[in-house]
Amino acid sequence: MKVRIERRLTQPRWLTVAVPVGSLTAAFGLIAVVLLATGHNPAATYRDVFEAAFAANGALTQTLVNATPLLFTGLAAAAAFRMNLFNIGGEGQLYFGTIGSAAAGLLLAGQPGPIVIPAMIAGGMAAGAAWALVPAFLRAFFSTNEIITSLMLNYVAGLILTYLIFDSHSYWRDSESASAAVFPVGKALSDAASWPTIGSSVVVPLGFLIGIGVAIGIWVLYARTRFGFEVQVIGDSPRAARYAGMRTRRKILAVMALSGAIAGLGGASQIGDFRHTLDADPKGLRAYGYGYTGIVVAALARYNPFAVVLVAFLLGGLQNAGSTLQGPDFPSGLVGRCRG
Amino acid sequence: MKKRTSVLGAVLVAVTVTALVAATAGTAAKQATIKAAWIYVAPHNDGGWSQAHDNGRLYVQKALGSQVKTTFKENIANGPQLEQTVASLVRDGNKIIFGTSFGFFSKKLAAKYPNVLFEQATGTDQAKNLSEYFGAAEDTIYLSGMAAGAASKTGVIGYVVPFAIPEVIRHANAFALGAQATHPGAKIKLIWTNAWFDPTKEKKAAESLKSAGADVLGQNVDSPAAGQYAESVGVPWVGYDNNASKFAPKSWLTAAVYNWGPYYLSRVKAAMAGTWKSGFYYGSIKDGFTSLAPYGPGVTASTKALIAKKKAALVAGSFYEFAGPLWDQSGKLRVAKGKKLSVTDLYAMNWLVKGVIGSPKG
Repeated sequence: MKVRIERRLTQPRWLTVAVPVGSLTAAFGLIAVVLLATGHNPAATYRDVFEAAFAANGALTQTLVNATPLLFTGLAAAAAFRMNLFNIGGEGQLYFGTIGSAAAGLLLAGQPGPIVIPAMIAGGMAAGAAWALVPAFLRAFFSTNEIITSLMLNYVAGLILTYLIFDSHSYWRDSESASAAVFPVGKALSDAASWPTIGSSVVVPLGFLIGIGVAIGIWVLYARTRFGFEVQVIGDSPRAARYAGMRTRRKILAVMALSGAIAGLGGASQIGDFRHTLDADPKGLRAYGYGYTGIVVAALARYNPFAVVLVAFLLGGLQNAGSTLQGPDFPSGLVGRCRG
Repeated sequence: MKKRTSVLGAVLVAVTVTALVAATAGTAAKQATIKAAWIYVAPHNDGGWSQAHDNGRLYVQKALGSQVKTTFKENIANGPQLEQTVASLVRDGNKIIFGTSFGFFSKKLAAKYPNVLFEQATGTDQAKNLSEYFGAAEDTIYLSGMAAGAASKTGVIGYVVPFAIPEVIRHANAFALGAQATHPGAKIKLIWTNAWFDPTKEKKAAESLKSAGADVLGQNVDSPAAGQYAESVGVPWVGYDNNASKFAPKSWLTAAVYNWGPYYLSRVKAAMAGTWKSGFYYGSIKDGFTSLAPYGPGVTASTKALIAKKKAALVAGSFYEFAGPLWDQSGKLRVAKGKKLSVTDLYAMNWLVKGVIGSPKG
């Protein structure tokens, strides 16, 4: 008797749940071995993680701070991956989002929140989309591999951030205040440009709510519209799509722009919700790698926008717990292992 | 019956006394222990800046023993991670927190936790519960520059620098002036890495400097990567902020180092006694805050004697490297003869001295 491995034509529903749950359980098991090997009690460590991430006083608020950017970069990745378009450039598109929204916030200084905040959102989305269109254009017209180009453009975006704050007296840089003379920083945005929050015991940033809205939007787009249907067909079989008369190039440009705009919105949320200034410090925004973690979020969520919300929340909790957990007897490298 | 009651009474009294003693002992022990925390920008064993601070933490722990419980958080990025770290340290009951990188603490953060004492290295923000501390490393960097100048044959010295900010600019200037003191006309080539701790970039910068003709390397960055490269190609190397000779035993010349321990101890003690006051500490070679690490094999006896003489002059106050006349890169006189730069001037320095090759804008 011969055993043949065939690709399933349709995936049973249980598998979409079982795979991520199975991989998480396996991961917890593996980390437990590492923890045991380094002399830590796994059960106690997991309890500490849960405590620090979700149960302690103020922990949920801090978890949402981490989850918000992951929600955006996760959705950005999921939106593009649906078409088998591998946008690895979420990181750079997020940087561009911070540049665009900081510019909008600074230009409209003195205006009230209802004017500044939508402008920051628009600025961030436009800048993120514009940066994503570079690899999109190259892919659509010259068939370059978007994985490589979008990834490399992340480093370019990082250098542009450095240039704006450290190497030039750009519009974004603060060259007046006393502390800016000691170390270069961006201009601080006005109070009106700080996005509002909801709740007091658990503070929910506006960005997180917008992110949930985006998740719903993406689900509607892909499950309920002709555009979404065509994108899935192109993703499954570009050749069949072409025979059916679908415009592949346009879709590539549109989907990459959408993906970049979502990552850029994440950048706008970084400025509006948390940082209130353009952060180019290599030990600041750039040290977090939200764009790259977003890819993990999308993959764990199997590109499902609602699952992205959940996974972003869980990973946000894990990151939050990391800073509580580490210390003299728990090195930061081990924290990194557990997160990975 | 009567006897029994008196016995019972005695037992009761004894129990109460022991309980009371135990209780007071308990509170006494509680009062005496204080929790102190340090936040590092790089790993605690980075072989440079953060490790020097961690040595300071261990010094405090050793000096105060069971009276203090110290902890640290490493590899902390500015932004939400820092806020979470501070929140978790406060939650754990830390009463005094040292932030060892610029930008960690602000007046706003200090105001959020009015019952916690904050101390930040290298910054300028002060508040009721926020102090700033640092020291005149320029003096010892000048001395380490003398060792570099003496070791150079071609007179071209490479210097790996992090950010084009006043702190680093004054350090590069001091290094250049020191090198020129032992090697007149020496040229100091700069390469900026735009990071405090980035071993990959630091090694690349060292390679570029070597191929650009530098025959001695120095640095103002935190990792020993440039030193490891220098060791591999047999080029003398001057480190910074920590004794990193073990990474380059043959190439090691010396380094300007900080002795954070005594300052930390005095601040933790003040916090325990309730006499802590916000301030701006600028340590010096005189009070032992800054010093020179032990010399490597490449430093000759005559160079050692020269450096010792200059050091004595610095301590006595008869010499100061930032006293005029000083010229900038374009040859313009920046500090006239008889004038001296103050600490305020040093904290705003944005020009490089004559003989430095590189831009003060990064």
